[in-house]
Amino acid sequence: MATLPPSPFDRARRNRRTFVAMVGVGLAMLGLGFASVPLYRIFCQQTGFNGTTQRADAGVTVQQATGHRLSIRFDSNVQPGMPWQFKPEHPTQTVTVGAKSMAIFVAKNMSDRPVTGTASFNVTPTQAGAYFTKIQCFCFTQQTLQPGQEVRMPVLYYVDPKILADPDNKDTQEITLSYTFYPVEQGGKAS
Amino acid sequence: MMKVKSFILAGLLAFAPAMAMNGQALAQNEAAASAAATPVDADPRSSDPGAPADSADANVANVSAAAPAPKVAAPPRMKPTEGIGMPRPGEITLQQQFTDTGRTARWLHDVMLLPIITIISLLVLALMLYVMVRYRRAANPIPSKTSHNTVIEVVWTVVPVLILLAIAVPSIGLLADQYRPAPKDALTVKVTGYQWYWGYEYPDAGIPEFVSNMLPEDKAKANGEPYLLAPDNRLVLPVGRPIKLIITGADVIHSFAVPSLWVKMDAVPGRLNEKSFTIDKPGVYYGQCSELCGARHGFMPIAIEALPPAQFDQWVLSQGGTLTGGTAAPAGQMGPQQGSTLPGPPASEAGTTTL
Amino acid sequence: MTTITADHHGDHAHGHDHDADHKPAFFQRWFMSTNHKDIGTLYLIFAIIAGIIGGAISGLMRAELAEPGIQYLQTWANMQHSLLGVEPATLDQAYHLWNALITAHGLIMVFFMVMPAMIGGFGNWFVPIMIGAPDMAFPRMNNISFWLLIPAFTLLLGSAFVPGGTGYGAGTGWTVYAPLSTSGSAGPAVDMAILSLHIAGASSILGAINFITTILNMRAPGMTLHKMPLFVWSVLVTAFLLLLALPVLAAAITMLLTDRNFGTTFYDAAGGGDPELYQHLFWFFGHPEVYIMILPGFGIISQIVSTFSRKPVFGYLGMAYAMVAIGVVGFVVWAHHMFTTGMSVNVKMYFTAATMVIAVPTGIKIFSWIATIWGGSISFKTPMVWALGFIFLFTVGGVTGVVLANGGVDDVLHDTYYVVAHFHYVLSLGAVFGLFAGFYYWFPKMSGRMYNEFLGQLHFWVFFAGVNLLFFPMHFLGLSGMPRRYPDYPEAFAYWNGIASHGYEVMAAGMLIFFVNLIWSLAAGRKAEGNPWGEGATTLEWTLTSPPPFHQFETLPVVD
Repeated sequence: MATLPPSPFDRARRNRRTFVAMVGVGLAMLGLGFASVPLYRIFCQQTGFNGTTQRADAGVTVQQATGHRLSIRFDSNVQPGMPWQFKPEHPTQTVTVGAKSMAIFVAKNMSDRPVTGTASFNVTPTQAGAYFTKIQCFCFTQQTLQPGQEVRMPVLYYVDPKILADPDNKDTQEITLSYTFYPVEQGGKAS
Repeated sequence: MMKVKSFILAGLLAFAPAMAMNGQALAQNEAAASAAATPVDADPRSSDPGAPADSADANVANVSAAAPAPKVAAPPRMKPTEGIGMPRPGEITLQQQFTDTGRTARWLHDVMLLPIITIISLLVLALMLYVMVRYRRAANPIPSKTSHNTVIEVVWTVVPVLILLAIAVPSIGLLADQYRPAPKDALTVKVTGYQWYWGYEYPDAGIPEFVSNMLPEDKAKANGEPYLLAPDNRLVLPVGRPIKLIITGADVIHSFAVPSLWVKMDAVPGRLNEKSFTIDKPGVYYGQCSELCGARHGFMPIAIEALPPAQFDQWVLSQGGTLTGGTAAPAGQMGPQQGSTLPGPPASEAGTTTL
Repeated sequence: MTTITADHHGDHAHGHDHDADHKPAFFQRWFMSTNHKDIGTLYLIFAIIAGIIGGAISGLMRAELAEPGIQYLQTWANMQHSLLGVEPATLDQAYHLWNALITAHGLIMVFFMVMPAMIGGFGNWFVPIMIGAPDMAFPRMNNISFWLLIPAFTLLLGSAFVPGGTGYGAGTGWTVYAPLSTSGSAGPAVDMAILSLHIAGASSILGAINFITTILNMRAPGMTLHKMPLFVWSVLVTAFLLLLALPVLAAAITMLLTDRNFGTTFYDAAGGGDPELYQHLFWFFGHPEVYIMILPGFGIISQIVSTFSRKPVFGYLGMAYAMVAIGVVGFVVWAHHMFTTGMSVNVKMYFTAATMVIAVPTGIKIFSWIATIWGGSISFKTPMVWALGFIFLFTVGGVTGVVLANGGVDDVLHDTYYVVAHFHYVLSLGAVFGLFAGFYYWFPKMSGRMYNEFLGQLHFWVFFAGVNLLFFPMHFLGLSGMPRRYPDYPEAFAYWNGIASHGYEVMAAGMLIFFVNLIWSLAAGRKAEGNPWGEGATTLEWTLTSPPPFHQFETLPVVD
């Protein structure tokens, strides 16, 4: 390290270099801020964070059906103002961990116009999200109901037997699966 | 605690209003019965036609004869005990707790945290007063030049670490307790936050959603309840039975909070949260919305009325619900629908339960 | 401060003379300023004005909360409405005004009072001098940073007079949580508030880059990083926090804007978004933000304690790296602001533990300040008294932070007045005491005149009594369950609320003394020497005249 004071010219150059580097840092953080949207989604999907459910192909074969039984509760919501009735056929179901099960939700369009809906969902307790796996769900796609039309919508799912080995879930006896339906505005808010 | 549990067992077995044991609460009930019959049944928000939930009188209304009489009468509206389940005037500490986790948490605060932080603050104050007196210019005209002392620096790094570890152990344990999920026979109640009221639904008992609006000042006063804490319809829950609240928001984020039960859980739109606890004493426990949700954020209070199991079952029947789960009780008859189904969908199939 | 303008203006039309005390003409000097000291002065004046407005808003709040019931809100809302020529306010619109007031108070105090004063004011004034630099690295960018604040502040104040949902003004809280801030607040008020944050954020980011460059490149020969005064260290750490945190806020609120106006659904569950993502992003910025506000205060206190004890700072390296540690850990604790959102147990345990870790470096700082005084020869001049007040009150605010860090305990304290008490102890009593300490400490240097010692001491004691009376009872209110952001409260909370409102009156009286002192000292204060504090004041600013020459260090000083 030279001990001589830097010349004004050197200093200006170094300042410029630092400036560019720092602008780079700022832009990187800005980018990170925006990138957090997909990153957060991926993180939730990978880890079941916030009760995000898992997804499996229709062809999945669940290896070890265990004897362990869990209660599954179904919760349904419709955004205020959306003219749908939307209820689970049964509020709860007892399933064997590892076995494929099906639940039916009933939706009815109470209005006199076609309404398209899309659903958000999560499970509680949140730590069960990593093990609750849906094979088929109406929530994967948008649903359109004609005026007065009533449909029975199935959810095909299983609870991953790995849940039995998770200490965080050792007291979990009931998992609640919740859906909220939102109207899809024409040409608007699709995911 | 044991006393409470055995009392609850007795209540479960007897089912009939063998409530003599529950002297205090029942005495209040009777006192409240006359009060409840008259002043509360008018629409509490008649001044406010814009609110979307106008038929909000559910369990209050059926005390009066406004609705066709159900086959089972609802238990009388419980009278709150002054200073229990609500803040006390001039209070300087936490509210008395009525759940296990609440007591543990309060213990953590009162017995560990508060003494530790008080001692630390006083220690810092004492040290400061000492140096201010001892090293004032008049007493110590020549300053020392010391600017390092490795031993003392290590000490004041390590000692706080140890104190924090001592706090962390029970704190983490408390968290584990608070997150212990309810058993599957727990009573599940759905709580929905709206701008600006709460909706309660009992999916297992088949009681459709009814809403809970704040009582206006005159009605609250006439009713002997604290204004701004008292709603018209309370969330009625059983004592001694595990309860699981599933909580969501309909429009913006609200937060369902009852300080005397150590409950606070955000009601987030598009997402469900759950919170489990067991109340161990009958009583009325008040709370308030705890996440800024718009203009009337301060005016959507919460009241939980915790009833002995038999009376709770009676209430369920009076609302037209069926008895399920942990309560061994005769099958209930379907009464006429009570309360509001707004803004959720009408309860076409909600009355059925399986298993 | 404004006395600096008094001497030379008039005949020097053009700016950059090489005579050290040659000042440009008034307009050129104050509106196109590239001089770090002038810009610092502008920042301080700006912060004082913003502080008066923000403080007046808290006065309105304490007046309304003095007793249960709605006393004044309706009247104020009607005044607001008649000013705009619209119908008298409904009760809901009056309630909305309350939310607009708490939002404005928070945003003004954070973005337009504490930050401009700490970093823009004292940072600009003294960082270049303390490191022996003639000016900031980018003087013109420095000017831009300041002048961006004016439109930002104008936008924020203007938002109070446009529709914001139920009533007028942005009523979302300073946190601007979605969906209250998106679907819950129609009208342009929230858009204006968000744009205001964008501009203020841009100003701060530019400022941060300027400080980083200045501190890294412009130090005088011999002024190594490990010889820099702690105030410079604190500004360096703060600048990095700003640079890392503010862009994330910018991204978060940009997405709020597009959600509001262009149909995107980043935070809207209806379109596959998640309102909690906003909270994560906001607090990823918001938690470092609280350190941004307090760290320069730490630096100021270190300088003052050392000066008036006539002793070097105890454990200098520990002090510097404790600030670095606080800054680093500050980035990984954000979700403790979200303990009640329904996060899973492991996440809550992690954030509980990580948050408590911050107590360690903070403790090091507290104890090191006391150790600096230990063995010293203390003179209790006004700045020192404020610094001592800071150390104690910051400790009180810090320990309640340890309580709140416990996720299981926070369940009942979250969003209550306990939290309000906590962050006002660390900010209103921490950062603000740091500001006053710094102001009295450097006032002679900046203005060339001494403040009135008696009024300074009186200001301290009245203010000290006032803020404690104001904020300490809030702990009690919070413990017994009073939620934040409520314009009205049950009878049971009346007692401590009444006391708190009286505390505000005392505090306001203290502020009156401050302004009397300020005006008197500027007009008639005794001329200050270059170093009014004696041998304890060892940093470079005290080697210059008071006020310093317009251009200092034409020849760079050499530090051994």
